[in-house]
Amino acid sequence: MHAILLVLIPTLTIVPAAIAATLAMRKISHAAIEGMTRQPEVAPQLFTTMLVAMALVEALVIYCLVVALMVAAKI
Amino acid sequence: MSEVVRQWMPYIVIFNFAVVALVLISLAFIVVRRQLADVPDAVQNAAEYALEWFVQQARDIRPDGVMVIAPFLASLFLFILFCNLLSVLALPIINIPPTAYYSGTLTLALIAVIGISVISARFRGLTGALQNLIWPNPLQIVSRVSDVLSLSLRLFGNIGGEFMVILLVTKAAPYGIPLIIHALGLIPAFIQPLVFTLLTSSFLSEAVHAEEKGQQEDRRREAMRVKPTPPAPTP
Repeated sequence: MHAILLVLIPTLTIVPAAIAATLAMRKISHAAIEGMTRQPEVAPQLFTTMLVAMALVEALVIYCLVVALMVAAKI
Repeated sequence: MSEVVRQWMPYIVIFNFAVVALVLISLAFIVVRRQLADVPDAVQNAAEYALEWFVQQARDIRPDGVMVIAPFLASLFLFILFCNLLSVLALPIINIPPTAYYSGTLTLALIAVIGISVISARFRGLTGALQNLIWPNPLQIVSRVSDVLSLSLRLFGNIGGEFMVILLVTKAAPYGIPLIIHALGLIPAFIQPLVFTLLTSSFLSEAVHAEEKGQQEDRRREAMRVKPTPPAPTP
C-alpha cells in the first residue's frame, strides 16, 4: 500500500498540471503564431512576450513538480 | 551520483559558482583587450547585437538609467546561462550546474529582487523605495516574496528537472542516448536565463515607475499649457 501511494501521489500531482499547462500553452502559441504570420514586423516582440507568458504558465507546473519531487523523496 | 558528492553538494555549488564567475571575468578581460573593428567580424557582431538588446530593455524601463540597469540584467543573464551550460562539459565535478540545486537558484533570485530594490532606491530615494513596498497596498511585500519564490522555483524546476533526467538516463543507458538528452537540454538552458531576465526587467519597471505616472501626467499637462499655439493675428 505504501509503495503504491509512493508511485501514485507524485503521478497524480504532476499529470493534471501538465495537461492543464499544455492546453494553456496551446492557446498562447496559437495566438502568438497567428500574430506573427499576420504581422511579421512585430515578430521579435511577440516572441519575447510569448516566452514570458509561457514561463508564467510553466511556473505553476513547476510548483507541482517540486511538490511531486518532495513527496517522492520524503515518503 | 555518489554519496560523497551528495554530502559535499553545498560546497560544490559554491565552487561551481566561483568557476563560472572566473570564466566570465576572464572573458571580460579578453573582450576588453580586443581591438574593436569598424567593420565587425562575426563575434563582435553577435556581441554587439546582444548588448544592443540589453540596452534596449534598459531604455524601455528608464532612459536615464541605462548605465545601471543594462549591466545588471546582462550580468544576470550571462551568469545563469554559463551556469546552465556547465552540464554539457565532460569534467567530473564541474559538470554539476549550480542552478540545478535550490540553494543556487534561491541565491540568484534573492540577488535579483534585492537588486531591484537597490536600483529603485537609487532612482526614487530610500523613502520612495520603502514606500513602494507598502503603497498603494501593503501586499506589495508579499508580492516581493512571491517574486523570489517564482523566479527561483522556475529556474530550479527547469534546470534541475533536466539534470535529474540526465542522471537517470545516464544510469540506465550510459552510451549514445544521453547525447540526445543533452541536446534537448540546451533549449531550456538558453530560454530560462532569457525568461529570468525578462521577468526581472518587468518587476524592475514596476518598482521604478509605480509612483511616477501621475508626475509624468503633470509634466505633460504643464508642457501643453506652456506652449499653446498663438492665435493667428487678425488683420
